[in-house]
Amino acid sequence: MINVDDLLDYTSFTVDREAHIVLDPAHCAACSHRYCTTTCPARCYAWSEKDRKMSFVHDGCLECGTCYAVCDSHAFARWRYPRGGFGVSYRMT
Amino acid sequence: MKRSFEAIVVGAGPAGATAALTLARAGVDVALVERGAHPGEKNMFGGVLHRMPALERVFPDFWDRAPLQRHLVKKVLTFMTPGRSLNLEYETESFDRAPYNGYTVFRPHFDRWLAGEAARAGATLLTRCTVEGVVREGGKVAGITVLRGAGELRAPVVIAADGVLSFTAASAGLRRPRFDPGQLGLGVKALLELPKEVIDDRFGLVRDQGASREFVGSSSGVRGGGFLYTNYDSLSAGMVLHLDSLRRSGRTPYDLFNAFLAQPQVAKLVRGARLLEYSAHLIPEGGYRMMPELCGDGILVAGDAAAFCYAKGPNLEGINLAAQSGACAAEAVLEARQAGDWSARRLAGYRRRLEATFVLQDLRTFHRAGELLEIDRLYGDYPELICDFMDRMYRIDGAPKQSLLKMGLAMARKKVGTANLVRDGWTTWSTI
Repeated sequence: MINVDDLLDYTSFTVDREAHIVLDPAHCAACSHRYCTTTCPARCYAWSEKDRKMSFVHDGCLECGTCYAVCDSHAFARWRYPRGGFGVSYRMT
Repeated sequence: MKRSFEAIVVGAGPAGATAALTLARAGVDVALVERGAHPGEKNMFGGVLHRMPALERVFPDFWDRAPLQRHLVKKVLTFMTPGRSLNLEYETESFDRAPYNGYTVFRPHFDRWLAGEAARAGATLLTRCTVEGVVREGGKVAGITVLRGAGELRAPVVIAADGVLSFTAASAGLRRPRFDPGQLGLGVKALLELPKEVIDDRFGLVRDQGASREFVGSSSGVRGGGFLYTNYDSLSAGMVLHLDSLRRSGRTPYDLFNAFLAQPQVAKLVRGARLLEYSAHLIPEGGYRMMPELCGDGILVAGDAAAFCYAKGPNLEGINLAAQSGACAAEAVLEARQAGDWSARRLAGYRRRLEATFVLQDLRTFHRAGELLEIDRLYGDYPELICDFMDRMYRIDGAPKQSLLKMGLAMARKKVGTANLVRDGWTTWSTI
């Protein structure tokens, strides 16, 4: 029923051009578990084994805090909430 | 824009808005700072707003004023295995009249209303302001900095009510810099549209009566559970997953959630519904053990930011604790204002006030309840055992029956073992 690929079709976002979360890719390459890739409820994180690279897309971030809590690799060069007025915009929920 | 106030409240959720409302009504020049375009825009929860004693004191006709969906008359706890379930249903007519015991609400509507009440009482509501951290002066908190644009705002006292991650409390050095995933839950939720009449039929409701349904054993072995709450013409369906258990499982929250929705007992309740919104948030489940320092010089912490959440008992409570803590924080600020002293020692009246209410009393009473939820058998073996027992009790197949108690004990021994039974029984007894 929930397909996170279609997330932007039913949850509203005011996307900022600038990402509120910035990764330091070297830390992700060295990480032993990459819990962010499975625990993020919006699937914002994807690890490419071929390129040995973590990609993060901030567009559909629900600002839930999961990645901030599960990452123990100090991979965030920046982790903050989007600046005022940007990011997820719940209408009902 | 005005840059200095008598008090600043960070976060216009239930804790912050209640604090700002209380302060504004007492004539304090208070700013209520919110990062959303409007209060509630960033806020989600399962869906049940329990009775709000702190707000009923301010609004004796709370249930006529607040934007509520349905009032809850029916609570159902379900032990579930794929294809089988036992429901414990409690329904009381006394929950069907004011003062109601709980409601379903939409946060973007409810939080906006409450913050609006604070603004009407005289608080300065500043939206679209993401707070970066606190400003210090002579070792004391003296204000906040806002990301881009607004810059610095000054006040002799700040109430950090900016949610579970509280970067305000972190920058004031009141919470630990790292979180323990063992003390956090992840809530995921879908808002599902269904006609009111269909909801009334499926859940056995009339007028604006509501039902809350919680499910144990529905999370594919991951610690956690599912829920279904009735709004007026939609359902809040979701799961709360223990973050440490989730990460170790390697499963994704949406796959577990889809598996929950696909179980036949749940599927027939949500059949035909249209997905309106999907949301997620962390929950500070650690309670008493996770609490930060509640006050420092010129700062207090309230609501989720202070881990005032209690997801371990028979009810999943948070907003009622948040609002109560916001009111207590405001009262402590009023006391400090009278004395003209914003030191941590003077503001410690906040903790004394919390101790006198259900907030800290409940958190303390159930401070070990987490140990109960760490019993993995709760999410698989026990629901199966319960359903096996019910099956044997009700099944008519020509085989002779056994005495129920004897049969139950024998089944329990076989399924989980005597030692585990005794251990889990003791944990249950000593934690809740």
